Amino acid sequence: MTTNFDLKSEKTMGLAAMQGRGFYYPFDLALDSNERIYVLGRGHDYDTRGVRITVMDMNEEYYGTFASYGQGDGQFMWPSSIAISDSDKIYVSDEYSHKISIMTLEGEFISSFGQLGNEDGQFDGPNGLIFDNKNQLYVVDHRNGRIQVFDESGNFIRKFSSQGNNEGQLNLPWGITYTSDDRLYVSDWGNHRIQEFSTDGEFIRSFGSKGEEEQNILHPSSCAVDDLGNIYVCDWGNHKLKVFDKEGNFLCSNRGEGSLSKWAQDFLDTNVQEKEARLKADLVFELESFKDDPFTESSHIEKLFWCPTSISFHNDNLLIVDSSRHRIQVFNTVQKL
Amino acid sequence: MSDKKIMLMAHLMRRAGFGASKDELIEISKRSYEEQVDLILDSEPNYEVSKHLMHRYQPDYGSPMGISSNGASWLYKMIWSDSPFKEKIALFWHGIFATGYAKLANGIVLHDQIKMFSKLGLGNYRNLLIELSKDPAMIIWLDNCESRKGAINENYGRELLELFSMGTGNYTEKDIKEAARAFTGWTIANKEYMTEKSQRDSVWPYGRLAMHFEYKEEDHDNDEKIFLGEKGNFNGEDIIDIICKQKATSRFIARHMYSFFVEDEPPVPEWPYKEPNNPEAIDALSEVYFNSGYDIKEMLRFLFKSDFFKTEKVWNKRVKSPIELVAGTLRLTKEFYRPEKFQSATNSQTSFMGQHAMNPPSVEGWHWGTEWLDSGTVVERVNFSSSKLGNTNNSGIRKIIDNVRANTKEIYSPEILINLLLEQLGEIIVSKNTKEILIDFAESRLNDKELLTDENLSELLKLVGAMPEYQRA
Repeated sequence: MTTNFDLKSEKTMGLAAMQGRGFYYPFDLALDSNERIYVLGRGHDYDTRGVRITVMDMNEEYYGTFASYGQGDGQFMWPSSIAISDSDKIYVSDEYSHKISIMTLEGEFISSFGQLGNEDGQFDGPNGLIFDNKNQLYVVDHRNGRIQVFDESGNFIRKFSSQGNNEGQLNLPWGITYTSDDRLYVSDWGNHRIQEFSTDGEFIRSFGSKGEEEQNILHPSSCAVDDLGNIYVCDWGNHKLKVFDKEGNFLCSNRGEGSLSKWAQDFLDTNVQEKEARLKADLVFELESFKDDPFTESSHIEKLFWCPTSISFHNDNLLIVDSSRHRIQVFNTVQKL
Repeated sequence: MSDKKIMLMAHLMRRAGFGASKDELIEISKRSYEEQVDLILDSEPNYEVSKHLMHRYQPDYGSPMGISSNGASWLYKMIWSDSPFKEKIALFWHGIFATGYAKLANGIVLHDQIKMFSKLGLGNYRNLLIELSKDPAMIIWLDNCESRKGAINENYGRELLELFSMGTGNYTEKDIKEAARAFTGWTIANKEYMTEKSQRDSVWPYGRLAMHFEYKEEDHDNDEKIFLGEKGNFNGEDIIDIICKQKATSRFIARHMYSFFVEDEPPVPEWPYKEPNNPEAIDALSEVYFNSGYDIKEMLRFLFKSDFFKTEKVWNKRVKSPIELVAGTLRLTKEFYRPEKFQSATNSQTSFMGQHAMNPPSVEGWHWGTEWLDSGTVVERVNFSSSKLGNTNNSGIRKIIDNVRANTKEIYSPEILINLLLEQLGEIIVSKNTKEILIDFAESRLNDKELLTDENLSELLKLVGAMPEYQRA
């Protein structure tokens, strides 16, 4: 088991905002060929302005927003995941309207595909999206417990897996990632494990078990894999980032180290009274109620992860969508001496 | 005809929960009534699965930015909990310790307060009052964080006595001030930042922050106080100890319990001038309060097992609050068999009927009983009940229809149909006049069992939802 491995917080990006510059319950992000970041906002039912895509870059330059709440073209009800194809088209899954929308990088609607059902090309709550190196789109078909594969136009190619808890079966799966060695990793949310498949759908292995201990996972939402095969898991239910080696052995974890983003600092600089009150506040403390209840702890301690929903690599950086804190925490890995 | 035991169980489940279908009542009735009361009071719910499922689809349900998602997530628990009494007791205390969003602008602290009511609401009343006094939502709501040594804010001291424990007429203005002095130093951590965020309704930079209690010794008035005739260097706990041993407190809580679980009493402001409906019941509950060491659960055990609760005179008489009406209906229809997008919109219905959870009209809370009913709210209530019961696509309604059809194969008449339907919906008791109206309808549309179509039964169910009796528990 490797022990000379750790995670280092680089910075935090974003700001809670119902509209405009910022995010409102972001669920996922994707990068285009120009390294612009498209952050998908889930919003919530009482303030649908949060349903939008915010465009920015790693320097927190803001390029605007597009998309909105609704069931029309280019609109979303319960957006869940976003992916960008080789040809720089945006794909967004909507687990309420059971369809995948295709848009330009400027937010112009191109087309959509999918409807409620369990036939080929139909979905029951499409979730995680990822393209492979052949530009094939893998869609996590959440409530049907399967993965469906499409071409860039949305034509059905194949499917694999089924609802269940045996090896190779899925229970309310959420995120999916693709690796350079042609492997797929699915976050099997309901079964508390990560499952590895070939792109043909052949089950290779799974790891993870339900629990709160370091080696356990509780409802994983997303994972990413580095060149060494180490697997970085958004342990959604434990509100942690966890790293496992390629054999599935636990390496390290991080509870979150959110700091003030550029946008957050801008806000405080222009709201001096709030900034001064914040500077006097003790934002890190211990309470008895935190014991065995990371959800409550995250509600109190701002820097901690709170329901992280997505993780992905960008160059050497890990971008973690910290959904209930409306931001992106950026980490990288370090080798200990 | 249903047997008396099932009907008594139905009464119990309406009051100690949000109602039960006939299928559920048959299961429950395998136990004795006393065993069922004990089970309700002593069992622990398991929310683990539903909590994760809720947050998975509705991320704001646990980390609310505003107010309404609190009500929606609470409603979800009421609908799906295997122990809904925990939510019912939280609703009971929310009605008494009514705390509102407007001044807090922070959904998380209200979410945490309801969780506290659910966790401690069946425990010792002294402990509950102490936790209430330490509750960040309450501390901001009633300004105790602004009450300083030498410059008291008496808001919390006043309401603690008037609305939370003894009722008017049982203390003096001087007692209020002395209580306020004893609670100086009871504040929230990071008070300046938290109140600044609340006042500005700020979600920046990263959403709302939960709050926690902090005791500031240096801001506590440690001098001697005289409270309700007792003298000492009292702190907040001492004040609550003195309050808890008052006869007025026992009667105040007993009357609240009686009003919520047995039959509607007049609104609280009228209590000093109007005798309780059943003074003997209040006396008996008051005695249990003292004999059990202020134990809420034991008071309720006594209440549910008492003749004044079991008597048919009080069955189906209490006006359901909007939350009880909506939760009870949705438990019957089972339309939200998993977290659904439009459960948030459904939760909004309670506001249209006059009860917006965690947003009471004042610190006094809502006026219950017939005051829920006016020309506007009745329309909302009837429209809601009728539309939900009449939707034959809902799995709960489908099961009721299947049961009705199965039980009318051998012998059928419009009257048998109506009796069956009322039983299936949880043993609803209706007046002679209402039953005649229902039978008239059945005779006109469902005079033969071949006419038991979904469409006709839907119309009949809508009519049942519009009956005055459906609005009562």
